[in-house]
Amino acid sequence: MAIKKLLFASLLICSMIQSSHGATKERLFTDLEKGSLEITATPSRTGEGVVLAAGIDKLSITWKVSSTATKEPEFKTIKVKLCYAPVSQVDRPWRKTHNELFKDKSCPHKISSFSYDPTVKTAQSFDYTLERDIPTGTYYVRAYAVDAIDHEVAFGQSTNEAKTTNLFSVQAISGRHKSLDIASVCFSVFSVVALVVFFVNEKRKAKIEQSR
Amino acid sequence: MRHFQRYIYATKNYSENLKELRAKRLEKNKTHVLSQEERVFFSRLLGTIMAHHNEDEGSVGTSMHGVTAREQVFSFSVQGEDDGPSSHTVRFDDPTAKFALPVDSEHRATAFKPFSFAKPHMRAFHLGWISFFTCFISTFAAAPLVPIIRDNLDLTKSDIGNAGVASVSGAIFSRLAMGAVCDLLGARYGTAFLLMLSAPTVFSMSFVSDAGGYLSVRFMIGFCLATFVSCQYWTSVMFNGKIIGLVNGCAGGWGDMGGGVTQLLMPMVFHVIKLAGATPFTAWRIAFFIPGFLQVIMGILVLTLGQDLPDGNLSTLQKRGEVSKDKFTKVFWYAVLNYRTYVLFLLYGFSMGIEMTINNVISEYFFDRFQLELHTAGMIAASFGMANFFARPLGGYASDISARFFGMRGRLWTLWILQTSGGIFCVWLGRATSLPIAILSMMLFSVGVQAACGAIFGIVPFVSRRSLGLISGLTGAGGNFGSGLTQLIFFSSSKFHTADGLSLMGIMGMIFTLLVAFIHFPQWGSMFFGPTSDEKKSKEEHYYAAEWTEEEKRQGLHEGSLKFAENSRSERGRKAASDGSSPSTPPENGNPAHV
Repeated sequence: MAIKKLLFASLLICSMIQSSHGATKERLFTDLEKGSLEITATPSRTGEGVVLAAGIDKLSITWKVSSTATKEPEFKTIKVKLCYAPVSQVDRPWRKTHNELFKDKSCPHKISSFSYDPTVKTAQSFDYTLERDIPTGTYYVRAYAVDAIDHEVAFGQSTNEAKTTNLFSVQAISGRHKSLDIASVCFSVFSVVALVVFFVNEKRKAKIEQSR
Repeated sequence: MRHFQRYIYATKNYSENLKELRAKRLEKNKTHVLSQEERVFFSRLLGTIMAHHNEDEGSVGTSMHGVTAREQVFSFSVQGEDDGPSSHTVRFDDPTAKFALPVDSEHRATAFKPFSFAKPHMRAFHLGWISFFTCFISTFAAAPLVPIIRDNLDLTKSDIGNAGVASVSGAIFSRLAMGAVCDLLGARYGTAFLLMLSAPTVFSMSFVSDAGGYLSVRFMIGFCLATFVSCQYWTSVMFNGKIIGLVNGCAGGWGDMGGGVTQLLMPMVFHVIKLAGATPFTAWRIAFFIPGFLQVIMGILVLTLGQDLPDGNLSTLQKRGEVSKDKFTKVFWYAVLNYRTYVLFLLYGFSMGIEMTINNVISEYFFDRFQLELHTAGMIAASFGMANFFARPLGGYASDISARFFGMRGRLWTLWILQTSGGIFCVWLGRATSLPIAILSMMLFSVGVQAACGAIFGIVPFVSRRSLGLISGLTGAGGNFGSGLTQLIFFSSSKFHTADGLSLMGIMGMIFTLLVAFIHFPQWGSMFFGPTSDEKKSKEEHYYAAEWTEEEKRQGLHEGSLKFAENSRSERGRKAASDGSSPSTPPENGNPAHV
């Protein structure tokens, strides 16, 4: 009986928590100011069908605040992220684009984050080496301008709105190592041989005992 | 049954002596009055029967000593009777064998002491369930690491889903074959073969570089889930029928826990390896070495510490001609002809099957839907599988309790209630949008579905006596089939969100659980109908003896089934007690020598 009451109480509490959570999290992507930041990402190797290698190739990222930006005084931090192009989101619901910012999974990889200096008005650039945990896929770069309370207010991306231009492909590292392969083979062989040795040994002992 | 055995023992050995004594008496004294020696013999015989009719030896008033007033004062010495609590048995062969647990006439333990590691019974129990536990860890080791693996190998949702299906499909076939393998090689080698031959497949995760490789390796690892059969086989050989329900429930439940522990273990190992400096895409491959090592170590332990049968190892005993075998074709035939086999196959598919599916998908589900860290998602997923520790034995126990009052009907209703509530909570889990509710519904779901697994194996022993081993294996295979099917339908395509997939799976489970109503025993009835009114068919003996041909009955091969039938009268529920028939003792099940 006590357990039933406890369960019921926790049920009530949980449902209340659920309803209260919904109120604060509805900042939408569509509310952000488009094109406030002009950003370009140039891969270290370009050309038709070039696939960048994770861990080796670089991106050269140049950005500046657009003249059309209205929310510029609110900018405190700039967060630059690597985002999946639509072709890499097919049949992969864990990379889906959502309008609610907290749910959006299309830009999971952080490139860089730095504070915004309003006095510098010219374009700034930096280099970024593709991390070794970037998966294989097609990407573009997006920068969010974040205000003092860590809410995104504006953004800019290196591709167009339909996400079809200026995309680049990355090939992930395989994660395999020769030493790992060798260790794997050694242990496998040990396992099989140990079994065979035990088996043969025991058969032999049984035969000896029987012949006695 | 004990005094029956002693009587046989006594008369078998002494009938020759009696004939001699009688001949001597007639020759010498030419009288029908019993001689002194004969009187001594008979008093001993009666003393034996009556003294051992009660549980405690030599209770006051049962001994026949002193009846003739002429015999010597010695008790009928059953070998080793004075040796203490371990010798409740008549030992036909080895007077020097001593067991740490009380045993019956087949040297199967009659008590269950989970904290003991005594040879050979408790040791076999622990080796068996830990081997099964290790295989569960290996089979579901990939599941909590899928968020990393899917990035490394560029997997799509279909790839992940298909690999999940493959991981449980291999065991459908290996579980079916395992019963025969254990018959041939013994439970020890059956377990060790599985462990040590599938360890290379676990290690070969380090070679995987695409979706196809991932799927093949998960398929091959999945074969080792047949340790379920070898574990249950081993405990059935080592433990008496009165406690086998509890022992098998514990072994099965604690082994199934592996599916939960792996959700904790693998992310932890992965995290530690990453801290040691490896990149994520290498770290997960190294992490797979841990389940591989565990398998090899367990294999060696099983071979060195384990023993096939209470009296020794199979190869030794077979050469002495002590282990008999039934014909496989007959056993197979009677399993296949019994429609209840298929019903149980499907039912287990939607209890154990759903459990295994959840092991594969739940960690990724929590990771994605609630934006958790990998190890947090793993912890939550782990608590699903860990509930097995008490949930499955609880289900078996609930089944036994309901049988005490309502007989087989109680068992069927218990199963239906547990499995349906599991389905309801699964639907709720899919609907839950906040983390606390999702966890709550998941926990209730886990208890329901895992207890249903235990309840099913409370019914399996009664479906057939002759084909018990094969039917257990078939039911187990049904679990894997259900898991493959549900993963294929609900979690392999982008048609459903995972959340919807969970709810639909719950609904499908509830629909299939309605099949319980179709399990009908002529001697005990079913959920809605009573036992058949036909005088002959409503006897337990008729049902179990029907599995033997007339020829075999003439040879007396069906004796075991008849004994089982007598013991199974407890499945009539309270009516059995009022009939004055044998007291409600859970019957003997699982003599795998008959498989």
